[in-house]
This record gives sequence, C-alpha cells and structure tokens, in this order.
Amino acid sequence: MRTHVAALLLGATVFASGAAGMATGAGDTGRLALPTYSQAYTPTTVDERGVWMEADEDERRLRESPSVIRDPALNAYVRGVLCRTVGDDRCRSVRIYIERVPAFNASMAPNGTMIVWSGLLLRVRNEAELGAILGHEFGHFELRHSVLGFRNRRSGTDLMAWASILIRNSGDIQYAAIGQIYAFDRAQEREADMIGFRYLARSCYPGSAAADVWDHIMGESDATALGRRGRAQHKYVAGFFASHPTELARATYLRAASLGIAEAKSVVVDTHQAAMAAWLPIFLNDQIKLNDFGGSEYILANLAAGSGWTTPLLYARGELYRERGNPRDLVSAAQFYQEAIGRGDAPVEAYRGLGLALLRNQQAAEGQAALATYLRLKPAAPDAALIATLVSQ
Amino acid sequence: MSITYRTGLSALAVFALAAPAMAGNTLIPPGLRVAVAKSAMTVVPSIEWNKLGARPGRNSESWTQDGDDLNDLTFYGGIEAGRPLFREVDKKNQPLPKVSATMLITDIPVLLENSYRVALGAASFKVDLVEPLPFAGNKGVRFTYSFSKQNETLQRRGEARGAVIAGKLYLITYEAPGLYYYDRSAAAFRAVAESVRL
Repeated sequence: MRTHVAALLLGATVFASGAAGMATGAGDTGRLALPTYSQAYTPTTVDERGVWMEADEDERRLRESPSVIRDPALNAYVRGVLCRTVGDDRCRSVRIYIERVPAFNASMAPNGTMIVWSGLLLRVRNEAELGAILGHEFGHFELRHSVLGFRNRRSGTDLMAWASILIRNSGDIQYAAIGQIYAFDRAQEREADMIGFRYLARSCYPGSAAADVWDHIMGESDATALGRRGRAQHKYVAGFFASHPTELARATYLRAASLGIAEAKSVVVDTHQAAMAAWLPIFLNDQIKLNDFGGSEYILANLAAGSGWTTPLLYARGELYRERGNPRDLVSAAQFYQEAIGRGDAPVEAYRGLGLALLRNQQAAEGQAALATYLRLKPAAPDAALIATLVSQ
Repeated sequence: MSITYRTGLSALAVFALAAPAMAGNTLIPPGLRVAVAKSAMTVVPSIEWNKLGARPGRNSESWTQDGDDLNDLTFYGGIEAGRPLFREVDKKNQPLPKVSATMLITDIPVLLENSYRVALGAASFKVDLVEPLPFAGNKGVRFTYSFSKQNETLQRRGEARGAVIAGKLYLITYEAPGLYYYDRSAAAFRAVAESVRL
C-alpha cells in the first residue's frame, strides 16, 4: 500500500526519537559542531535512489494537494525560521509545504521535502519553539535517516524470514528482530533531537525552546485525558513498539542539554504572533471543532500565557464552551463573547455566538437581541435566514 | 457516509464483521413508501436505490446508486441525546460529538461538521448555505456543504435536511463527488427528502 511505504520512508516524524547523546558541554563549540554539509546531494546507492524516487513522486502529488496552504507570507515566515535555525546554506534547498491538518506534526522526506502541519504552527508560541521542531526534522534529512531506517527494516525482516525457515522455534529471534527495528527508529529520533538541539544552540534562538515544546505537548495530552475523564500519565521508558522516545524522555534530555550550555544570546524580536495573525482564527477554529475540550482549552491558555487573552483567543474560547454546552459552559461562553465584543475588534460572529449561547441558556430576550445585532451587522450572512427564525420565535 | 478506517488492523476487523452484512444489500423500488433507519421515518423514492446492508450506526441506513463513495444517501432516524451521529471508530482517543436534547437548530450542521472533522480528518469541511426548511412538518434546517477527506484530493459536496423532534435528531444527508456525480443524483435525493414523514 502506497501510504504505508511512504510513511515508512518519510523521515521519521516528530514523534520519533534517537541515539547516542551528542554532548553539549558548556560553551564548547567543538561539541556543538555540525557535520559537513554538501549542497545538491544526489543519492548514491540503489537503495537511496529508490527512496528518493518515491519521495519525488510523493512530492509531486503533495504539490497539487488542496490541503496545502499557499499563502506566501506564512510560507516565507516558516522558511525564515528554518533558515535562522539551520543556517542559510542548509535551508536553501528545502521545499516547505504547510498542510492544513489540525494536529501536532511535521516531517521531512529524504529528497528535502518538509511538511509542516497547521496544528504545529498553532501550538508553538514563538519562533524558537518552531525552530526547534523544524531543526529536528532537518536533522533527519541531513543524517539521511530515511535510507538508514529502510535498510534497518529490510535487514530485520530478512533476518526474521530466514530464521523462520532455518531455525526451529525461532520465536525469540523474531521477537528480538522486531524490537531492534523499533529501537533503531527511536535511536534515530533521539539523534535528530540532539542535532536539532545543536542547530538551535548555534542559532539566535535559546536552546531551552526544544524542551519547552515537549513540556507543552505533555501538558496538552494531560488536559485532553482529563477532559475525557481519562488518566494522565507519562512514562520515561518507551514501549516495545514505540517509534519515538516518550515525550517525558525527550523533554528531560533536551532540558538537560540546554542546561549544559552557557548561552548569552541577545533577545531577538519575535515575529511569530504577527506572522500568525491572519491564520490564528482559522487554525483555532479547526482545533476547537475536534471535540477535545481539555486539549483545546490548554492550547488557548498556553497561547494566552504568551500574548494575553486577545480577541481571537476569547472568541475561540466562547465557541469552545458553547459547543460543549453544559449550562455552566453557556454562562462562561457568553462572558467570553461579551469580553471579546467589549474590545471593539471582535468578528461579527461573536454576536451570533453570544445570542446562541444565551438562547440555549434560556435567556431568550437577551439572546434574540444579540442575534438581531448579528443580522443587522451582517445581513448577507450565509445563515441569516435560519438565524432570523430564531429571532422571531 | 462512509468512513475510511485509518489502521490496517481495524479495517481488517471491520471488513471481517461487515462482509456478511454487505451481502444483504437490497433494491428499493420507486414509488412505494418505505420505513428507513429502523425508525418511524418513511420516504418515497422516485427512482430505484440500493440499500446497503452495512449501517453507519445504530439508527441509520445508507442508500446509493453507484456505490457509497460516489453517491451516498444516509438517513439518521431519531438519534437520542448522548449518542454520536454514527459509530465511533476510536471511542477513547477520537470520541465523536454527541447529540444533545437542548440542541438548537443551528447546532445540527455543526454536529455533522464536527463529526466529519474527527472521523474523516476533513479539516477542509465547509458549510456553504444554511436555511430554514420544514422537515416532516416540523421546524427544520437545510444546509449544503463541501469537504475532502484527509489525504484525498477528491472534492465532495453534500446537502442535508434535518430537525430535532422530541429531543431526537432526524437527518437525511446526500453526498457525492462534486465532479459529475453530485448533480446526477441530486434530484433523486431531493425527491426522497421532500417525501419524508414521521
């Protein structure tokens, strides 16, 4: 199946991990050194040519995909962060595709195709955090992880096949071979984490951002679990079939690495919020429609911790509470909408949300008044006729 | 509606369970009033439809002309409060939004949209037009929408009519690829939807 093969060959995703600790001694630029980079690398072996051929095919398909966000400003911003993280010479050949998928992930193919999901852009709070993830993905590319991972899987499954033919009771060998395949994936992810950290440490961004990302991802998954009445738990040791080290392990070793270097960087002007301004309401809307109250609330609070409760955040929070729709949620939702409206730059839809929240909370007169305001301000709204029936009830 | 299962394993498991049911597809003749979705809802089709043996959920059923990926007419017959619109694939990690007895009429398109966004990864889902339209003599809603599933380039269009009656959700949806198929069976869908009675 194409997608399976493609998934196997794609540079391991953000959720994977890696190997031997690349030490980060205090101020030791030697230990933060990067491998020599060669421009316009072309694949050399038959395996690598095959992996590249498939990646080229996937990229051709991706380029036509309707889910790719083509906004030049947003693309330029993401490219700018990648270039500031890994350096201009390295970033030049990368093709970045931002896909509108509301989940936290990014990936990089062996031919230099980088895919960034919109959910990642929503979750990072500044350039440094975005740079940490992009650097990790670029690390997979620079270290040629796709072809190495492919060879590892092939030799592992070869071993399993031969063992099943030649050796009686080969279960233990097969078990070990499967374990080795996944352990290798995790080692690659850790290796990419550490080279990503070295890019970050050598860039204008603080090295601690890499660990911050994983702290927030853990916080979000806890919030999601609690919101669904599940149990929040984080393990340090990855499971047998895990393709990535656990989030706790990654946060821990990346934090340790960032504490191990002496950083005296001047603070850069962060353009993340400005670059995201036009897209934030859209990405927030995609997130809050996923029926994940806890996780969405965490993301909103996390963004508000960086920027304060801005109008788009308040409006999105109103929508989130209104959609869950417990009586207490409807009261809160109405407050968030009113706060957003009070700022003067709320979208007209805030009146619609306010009216519907009040109406559902049996405050008919106030609700109808808000809906009437919505209709007055946006008479050509696509749902105007339906809202009008609620006003005239 | 048809769900593409994400993991090979669950697809296999579902296929194993669904295979005998699929053998139970039946032809619905035109011009006769039939009860649909194991409910009191009845409709009169204007042309022949194939009723699929596999149901999207407990109180629902799907009809098609050429296969459910090409034209899919689905009836949801009285989904109770606290239940999702259709069967949940991953209840723990991807729970679907539930019907609520206090839903407003404007919440019906939102429920369908959010269910598709979760179940199909349809981040491009867009409700195009929403208007009031009586449903089986009750206050109802008609809306059109468009979406494509994650990792698919095919653009699909849909039209739905529904109402919340006595705290239960009644909904009829029609979906097909925007290219050729949508227009071809849209009139047949509207004939079915306009004949609905409870």
